[in-house]
Amino acid sequence: MMGGLSACSEAGPKIVTIATHDSFLIPDELINKFHEQTGYSLEGVKVGDAGELTNKLVLTKDAPIADLFFGIDNTFAGVATKNGIVDGELTQIDYADVCFNYDKEWFAANGLMPPSSWQDLTLAAYEGLTVVENPATSSTGLAFMFSTIAKLGEPGWLSWWSAMKSNSIKIVDGWETAYYTEFSGAAGKGDYPIVLSYSSSPADEIGTDGQSRTAALTTNCFRQLEYAGVLKNAANPDGARAFIKFMLSPEFQAALPTSMYVYPVDKSVTLPTNWAKFAKPASTFVDVSELDFDKGRDKWLDQWRKLMSAG
Amino acid sequence: MLKLWAKWAAPIFVIGLLFYWPMAHVLQHGLTGSWADTLLEPAVLEAIWFTIWQAVLSALLCVAIGLPAAYVLYRRHSKHGRLIRALITVPFALPTIVTAIGFTVFQNNDAAAASGFGALLASPLFWIISAHVFVNFSVVVRTVGATWANLAHDTEEAAQLGGAGRFRIFWSISRPQLNNAIVSSLATVFLYCTASYGLILVLGGGLVNSIETEIAYAANQRLDLQEAGALAIVQTLLSIGAYMISSTGKRSAIGFEVQDSQAKQPKLDRRDWPAVAVASLATLLVLAPLALIVARAFLNNDGQATLDNFADLGGRGARNLLNITIAQAALNTLRNVLVATALATVVGVAVAYLLSRRTRSKSVRLVNTVLNIAFMLPLGVSTIVLGFGYLLTFGAGWFPLRSSWLIVPLIQGLMAIPLVVRIVYPALTSISEELGEQASTDGASPASAFFRIELPLVRESIGAAIGYAAIISIGEFGAASLLAYGSQATLPTVLYQLVSRPGGNNYGMAMAMSAIVIVLTFAVVFVASLPAKHRTAQRQR
Repeated sequence: MMGGLSACSEAGPKIVTIATHDSFLIPDELINKFHEQTGYSLEGVKVGDAGELTNKLVLTKDAPIADLFFGIDNTFAGVATKNGIVDGELTQIDYADVCFNYDKEWFAANGLMPPSSWQDLTLAAYEGLTVVENPATSSTGLAFMFSTIAKLGEPGWLSWWSAMKSNSIKIVDGWETAYYTEFSGAAGKGDYPIVLSYSSSPADEIGTDGQSRTAALTTNCFRQLEYAGVLKNAANPDGARAFIKFMLSPEFQAALPTSMYVYPVDKSVTLPTNWAKFAKPASTFVDVSELDFDKGRDKWLDQWRKLMSAG
Repeated sequence: MLKLWAKWAAPIFVIGLLFYWPMAHVLQHGLTGSWADTLLEPAVLEAIWFTIWQAVLSALLCVAIGLPAAYVLYRRHSKHGRLIRALITVPFALPTIVTAIGFTVFQNNDAAAASGFGALLASPLFWIISAHVFVNFSVVVRTVGATWANLAHDTEEAAQLGGAGRFRIFWSISRPQLNNAIVSSLATVFLYCTASYGLILVLGGGLVNSIETEIAYAANQRLDLQEAGALAIVQTLLSIGAYMISSTGKRSAIGFEVQDSQAKQPKLDRRDWPAVAVASLATLLVLAPLALIVARAFLNNDGQATLDNFADLGGRGARNLLNITIAQAALNTLRNVLVATALATVVGVAVAYLLSRRTRSKSVRLVNTVLNIAFMLPLGVSTIVLGFGYLLTFGAGWFPLRSSWLIVPLIQGLMAIPLVVRIVYPALTSISEELGEQASTDGASPASAFFRIELPLVRESIGAAIGYAAIISIGEFGAASLLAYGSQATLPTVLYQLVSRPGGNNYGMAMAMSAIVIVLTFAVVFVASLPAKHRTAQRQR
């Protein structure tokens, strides 16, 4: 790392700082490759989920904490552009489909039919089986809350959530807690066999028999698009642009499925072999085109929090 | 008069810049637009109501448990009294995030859920209030105990000869004399519980909303600075009210003073058993969670014994969650502690010195009273409110503090200034009366008299003040969570990241680091509780 000293004699800063959500992960080889190709060293700053990332970037826009960001999604893109934190355009890097997953072994062992769609989860048979992320603190949870509003309308969506509350739904603050701690089909071996996650998650649960222990409910999902962008007033805008270009390179795009469990935006990139079988994209989506995320978000979240609060 | 202002200029500049200026921004944001409507929203009212009732309940429980403990530990002589008095202060000295992490072990415990109290134990409210009692009950023990220890025994002995039982004696003789101390400790615990942030965030899992969590939520998740500001004003009024009540009692017990007068207290006897039972149970309840965290630190997710959690501390967690390693975060915390403690000690001692100068001028005395209040006010402002103020104030402009690492230690140091003043000022006034005059008749300048004579005499108080400032800086979470980004993360903020993203080895790492902090705190408190002659033996050579 100290070898970078000689490169410092050239003009311009040599460190590029990227602000991301907590799930951001890229292999060290790629970071080194970026350094070799451009001379820039990459430094990461993780700042919570996509919503917190967006808002913190807005709150600190006068003296930005990074040169660029990655991970603001389509539910928060409006906040980013409205508050003028982006220098230039948002660039889409990847996408992911928010779907429920279930633990196949648990359902087989308990002789229960898995649900066919998330609307079924209010049934008495599924009482106390579901864990979801809090939409107020998790972009996964927020995407799903938008799905319920788009699919069930107002005020029908609140009745659905109310029925879920009676059906003992478990709510946790973020995806990691829901998936890794509470979900019975993942490493944490939690108590809940149904979890709000992604269509690609089953590809990470392949057992010794070559089969996935989990499956996704691929209907009525929500497609999350993830963006990168250069921050206004960035100390190193050239380095930021160089990294966005690098994120679109075939090599980086090809690493996205294995490192972050998302689909590359570049359709020409081949997916890992088991993805074709266990990480198929969702088959149908909820139509959210009529929802104004930015206008409704606060109101809907207030209604949701009031309904679901533990008090 | 002019000379006086010149001396005050530096402390006033510090508190003006680091406290009143950001607070003015909070007021400005909070009072714009329809602030009254904001505060009347159902969700906001609910958060305010929750904040108040949980703090009242926590404070009452602390008193219920604290009074018998104060009796046993301060009013009666027992063999290990000194050690136990020290041990029960450990939860108070621990970073609150460590306590919160510890209580998640109970919360996630299946055995607890299956014990027949399922509904109660499943409620995050139960764990939040338990944790508040755990952290704060020693405040009651110390505040009430310090008064109780100094009450005369005559009346009680007479009543005892007259055949009155222990409880009757307490109720009709001791309690009226302890009223001030009880009210003061109630208000102090109420103050701490209303300002609780990390505990409610972790144990409430985002579904329990207090004023503090609403401020952070409004600012971080909704960008609603007006609502955050309005709530910050409510929080501040509540805290200042509680603070004023808490300081009506004579001198509230601050510092880990371990008093030797206890040796003169009567021994415990059989008739004390109810108090002893409650006190022992309370002590056990305080120590058990700590023991449990330490034990959990040696287990992996499957319950097998391992040292991996400690080995993992050199890394950045599962999927490189952390921006820096825990070791680097510990270094950041150490650096912050040094800066914060230095700031708080220098400014706090200067203020205490200036306030303690005797004067015959009425106007100077009036100025002193006003300045005393002005420097105490930060005690009534929570770290979230102040952190929010810093976020609003120091973003850009002529003092762009936000982008500097100094922002976190400066805010922590500022918050410790009032405590330093509160500890050092009474010590200075009690000695300055004879000494100062004597020295000045000897021809010494006031400054040299202060450094050569007074300062060494209040050495112990300054030591206690430094200890308090360090504890505040080590444990401070609210402001750091708003202001410390990336490589500037502190120990509490990385612990929070690990426990809120518990996948893989992250939870185990949080346990391991918490265990280390607990053991270190125990060690420090134990050393501090040793009789003074053990500690000063070397210095006297």
